[in-house]
Amino acid sequence: MSHAHAAHSHDEHHGSYLQPKGGLIATIFDWATTVDHKKIGVMYLFAILFMFFLGGVAALAVRLELWDPVTVDAAGAIHGQLFKPSDATSVGVGNNIYNRLFTLHGAIMVFMVIVPSVPASLGNFLLPLMLGAKDVAFPRLNLLSWYVYVFGSIFAVSSIILGGVDTGWTFYAPYSTTTDAEHPKVVLMVLAAFILGFSSILTGLNFIVTVHKLRAPGMGWFDMPLFCWAVYSSAIIQVLATPVIGITLLLLVFERVFRIGIFDPAIGGDPVLYQHFFWFYSHPVVYVMILPGMGIISDVLAVQSHKRIFGYRAIAFSSLGIAAVSFIVWGHHMFTSMSEVASTVFSALTFLVAIPTAVKVFNWIGTLYKASIAINTPMVYVLMFLFLFSIGGLTGLPLGTLSTDLHLHDSYFVVAHFHYVMMGGTIIALVGGIHHWWPKMFGKMYNDKVGILGALLVFTGFNITFLSQFLLGSAGMPRRYASYVPEYHFLHQVSTVGSWVLLLGFLVHLFNFLASLAIGKKAPANPWGGLTMEWVADSPPIEHNFDHDPVCTHGPYDFDTVVPPHWDPKDYPLSTATAGGRPVVAHSPEKPE
Amino acid sequence: MSFDFLATTGPQAMNSSQAMNGSLVMNGATDMTIPSMLAEESFFHRMFFFNRGATVAASETDDLAIWLWWFCLIWFVVLMGMMAFFVIKFRRKKGQIAQVSTSHNTPLEIAWTVIPTLMLVYIFFQGFRGYVTKMVAPGEAIELNLIGQQWAWSMIYPNGIEIPSPGAPLKLIGSKESPIFYVPADVPVRLRMNSKDVMHAFWVPDFRTKQDLLPNRYTTMWFQPTMSSSPTLFHPKNAIEAKASKSDFVADLAGVPYEDHYLFCAEYCGNEHSEMAATIRVVPYEAWKKWLTYMESPAGLPLIDVGAFIWKTKCASCHTVDGTAGTGPTWKDMYGHSVEFADGTSGTVDDDYIRESIRYPSKKIVKGFGPNMPVIAVKDEQILGLIEFMKSKSNAGGAAKTENPAEKK
Repeated sequence: MSHAHAAHSHDEHHGSYLQPKGGLIATIFDWATTVDHKKIGVMYLFAILFMFFLGGVAALAVRLELWDPVTVDAAGAIHGQLFKPSDATSVGVGNNIYNRLFTLHGAIMVFMVIVPSVPASLGNFLLPLMLGAKDVAFPRLNLLSWYVYVFGSIFAVSSIILGGVDTGWTFYAPYSTTTDAEHPKVVLMVLAAFILGFSSILTGLNFIVTVHKLRAPGMGWFDMPLFCWAVYSSAIIQVLATPVIGITLLLLVFERVFRIGIFDPAIGGDPVLYQHFFWFYSHPVVYVMILPGMGIISDVLAVQSHKRIFGYRAIAFSSLGIAAVSFIVWGHHMFTSMSEVASTVFSALTFLVAIPTAVKVFNWIGTLYKASIAINTPMVYVLMFLFLFSIGGLTGLPLGTLSTDLHLHDSYFVVAHFHYVMMGGTIIALVGGIHHWWPKMFGKMYNDKVGILGALLVFTGFNITFLSQFLLGSAGMPRRYASYVPEYHFLHQVSTVGSWVLLLGFLVHLFNFLASLAIGKKAPANPWGGLTMEWVADSPPIEHNFDHDPVCTHGPYDFDTVVPPHWDPKDYPLSTATAGGRPVVAHSPEKPE
Repeated sequence: MSFDFLATTGPQAMNSSQAMNGSLVMNGATDMTIPSMLAEESFFHRMFFFNRGATVAASETDDLAIWLWWFCLIWFVVLMGMMAFFVIKFRRKKGQIAQVSTSHNTPLEIAWTVIPTLMLVYIFFQGFRGYVTKMVAPGEAIELNLIGQQWAWSMIYPNGIEIPSPGAPLKLIGSKESPIFYVPADVPVRLRMNSKDVMHAFWVPDFRTKQDLLPNRYTTMWFQPTMSSSPTLFHPKNAIEAKASKSDFVADLAGVPYEDHYLFCAEYCGNEHSEMAATIRVVPYEAWKKWLTYMESPAGLPLIDVGAFIWKTKCASCHTVDGTAGTGPTWKDMYGHSVEFADGTSGTVDDDYIRESIRYPSKKIVKGFGPNMPVIAVKDEQILGLIEFMKSKSNAGGAAKTENPAEKK
């Protein structure tokens, strides 16, 4: 059996990829120069989590300011004691800080966290393992893209140190081309996003070639795990759309520095042109953010419920469908600044994207039917995703509908909507995915009860924070306001309390992961009973992933007919028990007996 | 292409009285009756919108929005109900395994693709209908001109008066004394809008509509405000009432009911984006005409009062008069004194310097402050007012008055 075989080879060949190479300096040098996709994936994971922490601190500060905003009353007295700088004499000083904080939060979370989050971390780690490959197609390019990411992030952080940027993460002209005119910090932040784009393109290119060329023998396109389909679809968008934002941001820099007159009307430009350029990238990139998250959900859901995914081809094709439609809906960000005809066309196209998305949700819920559903941290995250993402998707309807959008546009309703999709979707899927593949990545188990506790806190905090914002937006609260009229005070305070619960949930997870690394018990190679190839490898995998080149012998979710690799009867019962005849062993290099 | 061909079914139909009762029937939208829950005074309506939709198109939008809310809620409850049911029923128990079931079902999958598609097509057309209503102004609409700039609104009326103006009342919204724009009820009003600097957006939440203001071209929007049948706010009936409510008594408007709505800027425009507010005050048409005539009469204010007003509305958020430093230097004891500039030179704050600093703010910046001041639209007589006002705040103001700037040096 493959189990005995793996144990044997472990001693004979290489150790785990995590094994230090000599002393501390040598180990650091080894990681810094590694071309191993697993190490690069882990380095990405830590870099992204660090940026998530920075962006999260900014978010908490924004919510704290809104608890008690800086205002001046009729008598000239200044209120807002929580956030008031000691030398404040007007609201301007408080607003200045607030505007820099929400820009920081948006720019970090979009460009440095959510866009690279799933593909660069879990995608890097898992894609070759799932395809049965030794590495990605261009390992050196992979390391380069990590360094480019770090370099870009340093640009962004340096613009913060120089005093911060107050343009909003969308850099709308002509505000962005004229604010802080004599200062390089806006240029630095824009260049950071420009540089990060290259990291994104290189990773996307790498993944496309990997999926095309490095699938294990016997693995057809429809034998790929759905996570690979999702990463593949988003890689196509990254390669096609990112150059557009690169050009746009470069033009913005030229506009600021050389005053070339393309966006600023004062010198002959058109600010609506900037919006078109910007959203031509930034809308498709929304799907770069969410598609890999959907891929995680498809895989975790199938494995944790030991069930063949319902409608595999529908999910795979809907990923490609979403990728295609995503290029023709950018105008729905501009219903209040475009011509009426354009708005009408873009509204109609926008509804198109709802269809493949809805199909995916139906398929996931259909998969649960007659399944054997494990209630553990990854599965709780899958259920949370379905709950939160459904809210995010459904609240997209009043935003895509023209007459209601004219009211909700640029309000807190939009803020709540995209947090439900981006955070309730992508970040929740990422955290769920980290829990699902944590044993594979680090070879340690974590405390599942603590994991579920953290998940429930995140769920509660998230809903308190953002459900209240739907009501705020619908009632008239505009986005990006440092202060507001008294009608909105109560709901803002509810939202702020929610952000603290959310923080608590993430701290519980952090504690749980640190405890797992320190004292967690050793993880088996296949703790959940998955059938895809990453579960054939050891936990953690050896340096070249597999000790024999694996051969694909069955579909990724054939739980009815295949015995999972490294299966131990003590762990869980098998669906295959009911199948007639002798079941085959997953991806065994030997022929089934 | 234009939407003219739709105009006959759009706004003109709305001018008829049936549209005014606040419950314009949409195709299908109110067929699904839970009337008490959809009504303007219902719990759900208050929860979502706080206030009633205060234009004809707004109540139409509310009907669609609340219908959509129920549509989404029903979908959500059905989906989550199925998910919860499956999770409970098929959760893993010891020794129990997943049952064999079909891996796909083409008729089912076609059904759950086509049925939502049809629903989405229906929703799109409902939204399109409401959009046409909101975008196509009737030909006979009253035209007002709205100007946005960092960080204030101003309105130019057909007879040429501009609000805010000295003497016109202000209302505190958040941290700022903001202008009040009078608009007439029950007649279509068309706004022609543009921005003097960056992007802004006109949003009156009670009107449920929004439009960006661009610096390089005009944008337009229209609305037809309605008034509640039981108004709660009235202009003061006499001077005693006016004094009690700290407002001015205007004989022409005595006892006239009004409704106030917030006007917010909805497109991020910089430091005081959240202070860029105004009040839209809806009054009956006849009263509005009287108000326009009243505003035409010359205010006859002394220059120093004009200056105090301009300071309060356009300068006070950065320049204090009590000696504390704001975003810009304080005006207390500034006039007539010598100041040092950021480039190392120095000069006296005199009439010319004040005018230059308003027209070309970044030319001479007082040392210790950033180049933060935008070009603010101030009329010539208002600059004279500001000069007088600054003199009154300076201990050197009297001396400077007699000095001829040309002879200085």
